[in-house]
Amino acid sequence: MIQKNAASSDAAAVEPHIAIAARNVTLSLGEGTARVDILRGIDLSIEEGKTVALLGPSGSGKSSLMAILSGLERATGGSVDIAGADFGTMNEDQLAVARRGRVGIVLQAFHLLPTMTALENVAVPLELDGRPDPFEIAAKELTAVGLGDRLGHYPTQLSGGEQQRVAIARAMASRPTIIFADEPTGNLDGTTGEKIITLLFDRQKATAATLLIITHDPELAKRCDRIIELRDGLIERDSAA
Amino acid sequence: MSAELGKAWTIARRDLRGRFVGLRLLIICLFLGVATLAAIGSLTDAITDELANRGQAILGGDLEIAVAQREATSEELVALRNAGTLSETLRMQAMARLPDGSDTQLVELKGVDGAYPLYGNFTLENGQTVTAPEPQEIYVTPALMQRLSLKLGDKIDFGEASFTISGVIAEEPDRLSEGLSLGPVAITSLDGLRATKLIQPGSLFESKYRIKLPASAIPREVGDRLSEQFPNAAWEIKTRDDGAPSTRRFIERMGQFLTLVGLASLVIAGIGVGNGVASYLRGKQGAIATLKILGADSAMIFRIYLFQIIAVALGAIALGLVIGALAPLAIIQIAGDVLPIKPEFAIYPVPLLVSALYGLLIAVIFALPPLSRAKTVPAAGIIRGEGKSWRQIDRQSWIGVGLAIAAIIALALGTANETLFSASFIGAAVAILLLLTALGALIRWLASKAPRPKHPLLRLALTSLHRPGAQTGQLVVALGLGLTLFATLAAIQTSLTNEIRSTVPRDAPSFFVLDIPVERADAFRAKVAETSQDAEVNIVPTLRGTITEFRGQRVSELETLPEGAWVLRGDRGLTYSATIPEGSEIVAGAWWPDDYDGPPLVSVDEEQGAAMGLKIGDSLTVSLLGVEIPAKVASFRKVNWRNFGFNYVLVFPPSVLANVPHNVAATIQLETAKEDSLLSILPKEFPSISMVKVKEIASQIGDILDQMATAIAAAASIAIFSGIAVLIGAIAASRQARVYDSVILKLLGATRAQILTVQAIEYTLLAFLLSAVALGFGLFAGWFVITQIFEFTWQPDWGIVLLTLGIGAVATLGIGLLGSIPVLSAKPARALREL
Repeated sequence: MIQKNAASSDAAAVEPHIAIAARNVTLSLGEGTARVDILRGIDLSIEEGKTVALLGPSGSGKSSLMAILSGLERATGGSVDIAGADFGTMNEDQLAVARRGRVGIVLQAFHLLPTMTALENVAVPLELDGRPDPFEIAAKELTAVGLGDRLGHYPTQLSGGEQQRVAIARAMASRPTIIFADEPTGNLDGTTGEKIITLLFDRQKATAATLLIITHDPELAKRCDRIIELRDGLIERDSAA
Repeated sequence: MSAELGKAWTIARRDLRGRFVGLRLLIICLFLGVATLAAIGSLTDAITDELANRGQAILGGDLEIAVAQREATSEELVALRNAGTLSETLRMQAMARLPDGSDTQLVELKGVDGAYPLYGNFTLENGQTVTAPEPQEIYVTPALMQRLSLKLGDKIDFGEASFTISGVIAEEPDRLSEGLSLGPVAITSLDGLRATKLIQPGSLFESKYRIKLPASAIPREVGDRLSEQFPNAAWEIKTRDDGAPSTRRFIERMGQFLTLVGLASLVIAGIGVGNGVASYLRGKQGAIATLKILGADSAMIFRIYLFQIIAVALGAIALGLVIGALAPLAIIQIAGDVLPIKPEFAIYPVPLLVSALYGLLIAVIFALPPLSRAKTVPAAGIIRGEGKSWRQIDRQSWIGVGLAIAAIIALALGTANETLFSASFIGAAVAILLLLTALGALIRWLASKAPRPKHPLLRLALTSLHRPGAQTGQLVVALGLGLTLFATLAAIQTSLTNEIRSTVPRDAPSFFVLDIPVERADAFRAKVAETSQDAEVNIVPTLRGTITEFRGQRVSELETLPEGAWVLRGDRGLTYSATIPEGSEIVAGAWWPDDYDGPPLVSVDEEQGAAMGLKIGDSLTVSLLGVEIPAKVASFRKVNWRNFGFNYVLVFPPSVLANVPHNVAATIQLETAKEDSLLSILPKEFPSISMVKVKEIASQIGDILDQMATAIAAAASIAIFSGIAVLIGAIAASRQARVYDSVILKLLGATRAQILTVQAIEYTLLAFLLSAVALGFGLFAGWFVITQIFEFTWQPDWGIVLLTLGIGAVATLGIGLLGSIPVLSAKPARALREL
């Protein structure tokens, strides 16, 4: 069982101010002639509290890299240290446990649990992590994203923007070290998208979390501390915004 | 661990909250299966409990000593009286005659003493509780009143006595232990019965001595002591805990058979459970991946959905138990007269518990595989948009399934009276299930290898059978089982119907006549000839005796009787003959010469001989009128029991039995028009005789077979309902893929009729193939039930079987196509956004 405080024991391997450290990460799918190399050796280091935009055309490997860094997928090769935990050596279940309180994820399609209210959706990760008072924390988090009056609403009773706010509250509730956001405005109109991005950055600042955001939008990328561009499974450019 | 369970339960409960829609199939299937089993078990227990609870009243005492064709000796009576309070009854078949001779009726005539009944109440329709009537009076059942158009105070004659009807019987407390009745009942006093002069040496009557024992006495021990005291008395002894053994055996056997039919329904329902759970979890893939993203490991996912499924399953099971527990109440109300005894309504925890366990185990067996797959849904799938990357079932889940299967087999065999029968039934059900599963895989494989038809609709129908995510396997099993049940039921029903028709062969006699005095046999023959020149009369000597020993083994010392050796149970009819009886042929040994006068020999029915393990030359002793006659087995006969003649398991040479006091019996065959006149003439001339109309017996047998067929059909119809639910579930499970096909076809210009045609072709192909398979399975299952369980002749009506199968196939096709209507109505623009 991997606990969050494992970070202290791994401190010697990873610099304390580094949130994400990836070394020569590769990802291949299929075998033999059907083999596709999606990531072909990614080296990446992101400091705690920074905001990073991940850009690149379709098929460049952005989502795959995010899946590996957030522990949703295992790399074929290389090492991945996330907030002090060696994700590269963990199996799927260990990764699930390691994500608790360490990683928060916001997805384009919101992915709220349709059978639960907004409050319950936000409380779930806290409950899974065994936190005391999960509903109090969830209520505060939802109030912080402007949904204090929508606690008992089901996802179908919320607008797209509101659903994404719930998703952000859910990702932030356990105060993770790192927030991953995959095209968080992709399903929203321009005005709503803008509000969501503002909220995301506000919450990032408030919690001092590291934010890695996948986007096609250069304007959004410019709001980040750093921009990394991928092409054909390799980092093509890594620069300050 | 408990904290993890608590978390899982909290999330499971929240996620489930009132949204059972996805688990409808699981609920319906489990409910149907459990309710059927609970109803069958509760009714069987209600009847057997009632038989046991009312054992004293049913038997008429704590202990019953029955003996055929004689009354107890004075020495025996002293011993019986010493055991407790004694009540004596005599019972025989006799002809009731109106004093003017205008009408007659075969009656079960019973004489009772002043102590009758020792237990229970003998009541009349006016509410009066009575005991033996005055010697010149008689109580009769409403059926006799109706058949002879009698009213209270009318006279009725039996033998040489005339009685006044002084009451109409409402309840004869020991009715059930008296066994099969060939006519309505009339009860008089012992003196009244003796006054008829029908009780003569050799006449067919039965004496019963019921004893009310002191509270401290154990009936079985008292019975054993009396048997030891009178080892040659050839008594049949019954105790209060099993007053009506043949009824109990019938109910237990029927109950067990129906339980197995119910269990087969539950297995079919289990497929629905599996499909329902798989479909529900497929719909939950997004939620599962989301929960994983939020930190749930696979064990947590497994627990969350296991809790949900168990919670819903328990709800369905509870509902099934409530309906099953209440069902006997409805069955008693609707069909109470058909039951051998009307039980009081009560809740029977054991069958309910067993049914609940069956339901839960079936739910576990069929839900574990999809649950095991669901926990492997990858979290990354949510980013990649993957939804179908389901993996293999893990080892622990297979072990769980194996343990649940072992538990279900142990439960089925542990609660079975006949283990081998149950084991073979379960084996057959599992074999059919496995064969259909294999057939599903074969059809998929064949469809993938078959050359592609040129016509696009045909091509699409063919590829629908084997593409990834195709429900062909489930459809084959559901359709196959449904059609097999249709074929099985049709085969059983038509075979039973034909059994009823052939019960009375064309050349069957019109009457059985019992208790003709041997010295008046010629006069009897002449009287029949007077009425009808063409009448055929076959006269045989008839005696009743009990086998007390065979192959050196005393029957009374056997702990259990050899299987199938019913001839050892109580007293049986026997006869003597110089020639091989009509309807018999010698299969081993030799028949004795016409004038045989040597040591006693006996010819035995080959089936009963085999059941007793007899060989030519073995010893066999019968007790007649208290005298033991030891004999050697001289031959075995194959007996045609279906010729409606007088057939006997044991036949002796005349020299052995001719001097024993006895009467003769006759069969009379004559034209139907003259039956009634014979029925009024003969009893007047021969007051001691009983005339049994063969048509009336056939009608009684027909009623019993009808009731059996109805019970089987009722239990099996639940299996058909389950099968239909499974079919609908399988169609629903493939709906998403079909909507996609349908939308793409519409985009390409296909009409709804063309899309429906694709599905009709697919289902027709399956239905055609499966009808052939179902015919084979169904005929085998029907043959097994008819010949091995009920031991009847296999004579299904092929036309009706094929027609039923055809209707079943068309009906299932119809259901399949009805299930496709939502697919047809999918709006392309909307569907493309959602898919």
